[in-house]
Amino acid sequence: MDIEDYDPDADLMALNMGPQHPSTHGVFRIKLILDGERIVKAVPYPGYLHRGVEKLCEKLTYVQITPIFDKHDYVAPMTNEQAINMAFEKLLGLEVPQRAKVLRTILAELQRIASHLLWLGTFTLDIGGTIGGGASLMMYTFRERELILDLFEALTGCRFHYNTHCPGGNRHDVPEGWETVVRHVMDTIEPRIDEYEAICDSEIFLMRTEGVGLISPDLALETGQSGPVLRASGIDHDLRRDAPYHAYDQVQVRVHVETAGDCLARYKVRVAEMRESIRLVRELLGLLEPGPIVGSKPIKSLVQFKASGGQVYVGIETPRGELGTYLVGGGDQRGAAPYRCKIRPPSLHAMSVLPYVLPGHQVSDVVTILGSLDPIMGEVDR
Amino acid sequence: MAVDEGSRNYEHPAYDYMERMPGLSLAMTTVDKVLEWSATNSLWIFPMATSCCAIEFISSAAARVDIDQIGSVVRPTPRHCDVMIVAGTITVKMAPRVKKLWEQMPEPKWCIAMGSCAISGDFYRDIYSVVPGIDTVVPVDVYIPGCPPNADQVLHGLERLQAMIRSDRAGGGMPREERPETAKMINPENRRVGDPERDPSLTDAQHDASRNLGVGANSDRTRDARPIGDIAEDEAADVRGSVDDLEEGA
Repeated sequence: MDIEDYDPDADLMALNMGPQHPSTHGVFRIKLILDGERIVKAVPYPGYLHRGVEKLCEKLTYVQITPIFDKHDYVAPMTNEQAINMAFEKLLGLEVPQRAKVLRTILAELQRIASHLLWLGTFTLDIGGTIGGGASLMMYTFRERELILDLFEALTGCRFHYNTHCPGGNRHDVPEGWETVVRHVMDTIEPRIDEYEAICDSEIFLMRTEGVGLISPDLALETGQSGPVLRASGIDHDLRRDAPYHAYDQVQVRVHVETAGDCLARYKVRVAEMRESIRLVRELLGLLEPGPIVGSKPIKSLVQFKASGGQVYVGIETPRGELGTYLVGGGDQRGAAPYRCKIRPPSLHAMSVLPYVLPGHQVSDVVTILGSLDPIMGEVDR
Repeated sequence: MAVDEGSRNYEHPAYDYMERMPGLSLAMTTVDKVLEWSATNSLWIFPMATSCCAIEFISSAAARVDIDQIGSVVRPTPRHCDVMIVAGTITVKMAPRVKKLWEQMPEPKWCIAMGSCAISGDFYRDIYSVVPGIDTVVPVDVYIPGCPPNADQVLHGLERLQAMIRSDRAGGGMPREERPETAKMINPENRRVGDPERDPSLTDAQHDASRNLGVGANSDRTRDARPIGDIAEDEAADVRGSVDDLEEGA
């Protein structure tokens, strides 16, 4: 029943959820108009983490922008760095050597596993709560996530916010024996994902997720969904396969598609993606051949590199979907700073589906639906 | 004898009476030790988690570091908690909420600023929408620098806070950490919001807005930081107005 059909004297209640709420994945506020326990209308209010990043990018040089992009999607900083650096390379016309391409692909896939592990832990925490048993799976997924963060720490020196990419290549080459450790970590994580799947035996988990938060293929396309949310609605689209970048054209990416469009389908897509990423990492390690890690131009000369005018758009497949970077070169007036930097965050589009999906659900389903979309507020508000 | 609520010495009028009873002073010492032990080893944490540092804060509560080992558990409501950990960038839109949540916490309470955004605003400090450090809104006891700090540094920060509380209960007063020096890390040409020699591009209204957030409250370090002013009023009206919107059929 729509809100216009209620007469003005109806006993509706307005409930503000957030901005401080443990299940809103950051600072997100949504106003719910309730008829008893049922949602009649939902109005999202983002903007509590607006940091003016696009404006900040106009003040900085191309090399200085990379660490800022780490902080957009702070669950998957590695792929964010790649997005902005690919845009620079396209704008400046730089070539990336083969070894750096393969290394970037490995890092992107490792980051995808880490990001989905974090999502799985927090999603079950949202559904079950600490006392309801959700914290158990969170402890397990964070145990595995730490293994991947250790790999990144060995490579870059940071647990996250790595700043390991630069225009034209990577800053850090892999340390000795890194590939062996990666293989060992993949062997450790793979059987444990099967253990996580035991959550699907839980009737409570199925009741909370099956048939909840249905996103039809039409709605998904209308609201500009991408990534796992789109693939869970039955649309076969993955930029890694459809518009290959890095070394994705040298491997075969198998895309998992679900047709149900509910929270359970989004869970299944993400778990399947973790398995696929593990397979890809193993395959890509074989392609990692000795060679230079940065392009012909040294990094120091890039600091003051001036791009002429011109505009580029680069879209890559982050764990959350298509992260687009639109960049306009500064030309002579702006020096080494870009004229405009626009980010197309996948989380913002995922959140835009909420006013259409939430009406008709119970209040407790809000956290389930919100969690299954996997939004990162740093990306939404920028 | 009136209770001095501003005092940090945990004095109570009953103590005055009990101290005159024979033999009770020994018992009081023992009881105080038990109280100190329980106060320092049950620091419940209210995570004011906004951005990147929140993820690292979850890591510190997860399996590897496990701040549970010193009795700190994370509770999602301010009314249960002793320590507020501000993890992440605080924007001008969020700051009145942080202030309100801080006021909802029962005394005694402490605040930890985690990460360079919460300490000084980091490189967002010149941006129009970012508060340059959470100590301009609420008083901060412990600073954990880093971008983000590692999970074990959070544990170390909590241990520093425990040492401070022990010192406070022993009568040494609450030693507060100084804000880490960040002035040298930034470009001196970029004036910080609220700076007397402010950025000329800021209008008077923007400058006043940053003043009203309590910029400079860090210097006098009062428990009750300044009222937030117009912004808090606006936000309160916004929340109240949500029910009014409904009646208008919005």
